[in-house]
Amino acid sequence: MEIYGSFKPYLSKIKDEVMGKLDILNQKEIKNNKNKLYEHLIGRIKTEDSMMDKCQRKGFSLSPKSALYECKDAIGIRIVCNFIDDVYRAIELLKQADWCTVVKEKDYITRSKPNGYRSYHLILKVATPYPAIDGSMAGSYFVEIQLRTIAMDSWASLEHEMKYKHNIENSAQIVKELKRCADQLASCDVQMQTIRQLIRENR
Amino acid sequence: MRILLAEDEKQLSRVIVAALNSRNYDVVPVYNGQEAVKKASQGVYDLMIFDIMMPVMTGVEALKKIRASGDQTYVIMLTAMAEVDDKVTGLDAGADDYITKPFSLKELLARIRSLERRTENYGNGVLNFGDITLDSNEQRLESFNSISLSAKETKLLNLFILNANKKIISEILIDHVWENDDDIDQDTLWIYISYLRQKLQAVNAHVGIEGEKGGPYQLVNTSKEGRT
Repeated sequence: MEIYGSFKPYLSKIKDEVMGKLDILNQKEIKNNKNKLYEHLIGRIKTEDSMMDKCQRKGFSLSPKSALYECKDAIGIRIVCNFIDDVYRAIELLKQADWCTVVKEKDYITRSKPNGYRSYHLILKVATPYPAIDGSMAGSYFVEIQLRTIAMDSWASLEHEMKYKHNIENSAQIVKELKRCADQLASCDVQMQTIRQLIRENR
Repeated sequence: MRILLAEDEKQLSRVIVAALNSRNYDVVPVYNGQEAVKKASQGVYDLMIFDIMMPVMTGVEALKKIRASGDQTYVIMLTAMAEVDDKVTGLDAGADDYITKPFSLKELLARIRSLERRTENYGNGVLNFGDITLDSNEQRLESFNSISLSAKETKLLNLFILNANKKIISEILIDHVWENDDDIDQDTLWIYISYLRQKLQAVNAHVGIEGEKGGPYQLVNTSKEGRT
């Protein structure tokens, strides 16, 4: 089944266009003699299988409306930054941008999840020239943005690996060690940011 | 080790000071409870020894005031042998140990050695201040979030919590945290203060370290309820 229906072709285009707009934001920062905004971007369209699983789990009907309107992460872009400051700088720029509005945000950096997960999640509503499910010919689409540092990103990859391997020995210990590791990486992130600020104060 | 001694009998005070000095302990003697409260609020001590019966303010009253200010320094009370109530009120007021008078200096010195072993070997475990928790054994700072600390950061924050709300000069902090390392100066201390400040912020704590580069520094509760 194709849950995205006739809207499917637009999703990749919107993803690429938003990534292009993020690139422009980054270029503007560099032009203004600021540090680059991010290290790299990753974009993905949620596969139709995972989207159907998610809709079923949430009790939504299997329709384009559920996939694109009830769920807001069909289009996902991850912004991976060098430093914590850069994450917050990028968030501010997105809030000021005229091509999108922030409809939801979750700060898992100042309040990490119990397992140690750190990241900043935003849902953007982006105006597009494409037909949308509300019937308009130029409608808005939702895009989920995840912002995190390189350290948080590496940790999330490791945690992801652990989550999808079900028969790990000592899993309780591994969970505990992952949490400890997350706290140590957070410590390094804060340390690097502090050193960067001390260098700037001395300039 | 720096010790605050409050004993109103001058003769006895002199004997205790001499004995402690001979073991290389640094002693500040005062002669009533009020002076003890004042000295405790101004300086950092590793141990306080208070007589109970003293003029102006008793040792128990002084101890209550010191504990109420947030000071968690180890306190030994000197109590009269017959007065069980003195021991009870002293311990209930926040004392950690007591010695009955008349006592032998040998016993006092042995208790101090025992305390030294505890602080050196076992660390101070878990400490709380405002909305933060410091686990010294795990080297972890917790509030609405948690983060790891380095060994030096742990020691520094430990000292700050034990002496919360006091303005502490740089030399005392460097002395306690880096001990015999002569290479440590104001600049290094400033970097560690900066790390701790950022980490307190990273865990969303309503606790901060006040002070300009060069010190003195002061750990304070910055929540609306905690501000006095």
